[in-house]
Amino acid sequence: MSAGPEGVSTERGITTPVVGAVDPILDAIDPDRGRPPHVMETRDLTLGFGAKAILSGVTAPFARGTITALIGPTGSGKTTFLRTLNRMNDKVRGFRREGSVLLDGESIWSTEQDLFTLRRRVGMLFQRPNPFPMSIRDNVVAGVRAHRIAKGKQLDVVAEQRLLEVGLWDAVKDRLGDSPFQLSGGQQQLLCLARALAIGPEVLLLDEPTSALDPVSTEFVEHLLLQMTPALSMVVVTHNLGQARRISHQTMFLYDGNLVEHGPTAQVFEHPVHTHTERYVTGRMG
Amino acid sequence: MAILGGATGAAPPAPPVKAMRRASVARRIAAAGWAHESRIWKIGGWVAASVPLGSLVFILVVLGHKAWPSVVVNGTHFFTGSAWKPGSTYGTTVHTHGFAHPAGSSYGAWPLIAGTLQTSIIAVVLAVPISLGAAFALTERLPGWLSRPLAFAVEILAGIPSVIIGLWGVLTLGPFLAQDVYPVIADHMPDVPVLSYFRNPVGHGEGLLTTGLVLGLMIIPIITATTRDLFLQVPPLPKEGGLALGMTDAEVARRVTLPWVRSGIIGATVLGLGRALGETMAVAMISGAALNTISPNIFGTMGTIAAAIVTQLDSSFTDGTGFATSALAEAAVVLVAITILANALARVVIARSARHGMPVGRGG
Repeated sequence: MSAGPEGVSTERGITTPVVGAVDPILDAIDPDRGRPPHVMETRDLTLGFGAKAILSGVTAPFARGTITALIGPTGSGKTTFLRTLNRMNDKVRGFRREGSVLLDGESIWSTEQDLFTLRRRVGMLFQRPNPFPMSIRDNVVAGVRAHRIAKGKQLDVVAEQRLLEVGLWDAVKDRLGDSPFQLSGGQQQLLCLARALAIGPEVLLLDEPTSALDPVSTEFVEHLLLQMTPALSMVVVTHNLGQARRISHQTMFLYDGNLVEHGPTAQVFEHPVHTHTERYVTGRMG
Repeated sequence: MAILGGATGAAPPAPPVKAMRRASVARRIAAAGWAHESRIWKIGGWVAASVPLGSLVFILVVLGHKAWPSVVVNGTHFFTGSAWKPGSTYGTTVHTHGFAHPAGSSYGAWPLIAGTLQTSIIAVVLAVPISLGAAFALTERLPGWLSRPLAFAVEILAGIPSVIIGLWGVLTLGPFLAQDVYPVIADHMPDVPVLSYFRNPVGHGEGLLTTGLVLGLMIIPIITATTRDLFLQVPPLPKEGGLALGMTDAEVARRVTLPWVRSGIIGATVLGLGRALGETMAVAMISGAALNTISPNIFGTMGTIAAAIVTQLDSSFTDGTGFATSALAEAAVVLVAITILANALARVVIARSARHGMPVGRGG
């Protein structure tokens, strides 16, 4: 891995004709064959806006096919960190960064990396539902259209499949042409999830995805997220410690711009190494 | 303080001056009696609310009354006829359906109606895309140090009196276009339907296209300023959602930002259209102010209702029967009707397109 982005990304390119013939079969068995075990990885990532430092020196691997919870008090840099992973901060005034973020071993800022392709591969779900001002069906396929993944009648198929996936199909199948703003908050968030899934991301970034939802919707979304592993890797920012325990495989505890603790969720919650972590997960700080 | 505070006895601890003034107004109302206060508000509200509607009704009634002789005598000829004939004001007076008018007078406003619609449509077609682009650049693309002075310039442009723009149009822009721009277009247009409308002669710069261009320039600031305010109200979260989905800035603008404020943009367009339909002075100066001509091509001289009213008003007073002013009043009624129709049409379009639209401001 220390060879840098180039060393890893060429791995799949080295194929003899014989190996090439069985490639599709092996790919079908394990789509992640030959890829780095970490779908994403940050190395010594330091972030800030202008003179203000947000994060310093965060090195963290994100295991493929798992859910990583990002916890920490308000202002600890969780959201900034998350939004950096699909370059949503790039155009924010004064944003500065050092260190690197790798997706499949390749820097997300490398010149070969196309911003729009990156965002297709690394999707995002926001704190509050943010449907577009178009019909429910058009919302689901908005990204599919933008990336020209499908067109015409195929779009209906994509819309149905994704709405089924998020359990929204039965509720909306008779009003696909209606405005999404008539849906409840929970349904709108599911619609946004369907929209994010429709372009087939490899990683999904979730910024407090259930903070605006009622407990029943929250439980439903959590259940869905768990179901989507290991096909999809996720990074979830959450203020809800119970949620972090319920759905995440790893937990990262950010405090005051530093990555204080990072490990399997059970370990971080049961046997935290750092006193700050212990105070936070036991509710004595927060 | 000394006057009003005295009644309560003990002097309150010196309040800030502003708070004191506010208190004094409230106390004066209290002194007048709280019982009357709500009635004052009620009556005041009714008066204020009825001024706009009352004025509109009053204007329409008076105009209609003035126009009535022309409506009766000219009939449908007013809408189909192409000749604006005051008749001989020194000749005999004749009576038609009981209304006196000079012999030989008859009024057909079709060229003016057509000219009004033509120039306004050209103006809107040119101004809307430019205004949307400008508003988008001001809100989304340009840095603050550049967009703030530019937005200010847009507002200044909106405030320039139309007579000044008209003067510039007739002295500078018109001749320039007729000499250096129009010939290039006209000489290269093939003689096929539609495009032949852009062929020679190009005239001297006073006419349909020049008027449309200048009107477009005049309504750009109106539509830009309104659209800019609309764009500023689109919440950032849906736009970010588009970006996070891998859309380009242009796709976000087209699929998220624009639909979000669609009804507002239609409103802004109608605002601009209303201005273009009613613009008088600049059009009177640039159009050639013809009365009886529908331009055979896009460059020729023509006239609009508003321009005709202002250029014909003076001479209409020489008609002792009042029939000439009556015809102008009917033209005015037609102009008002066109404006109201445009607004009604916009409402229909908004109602149809509002199915997925967002009430501005929600969902952020």
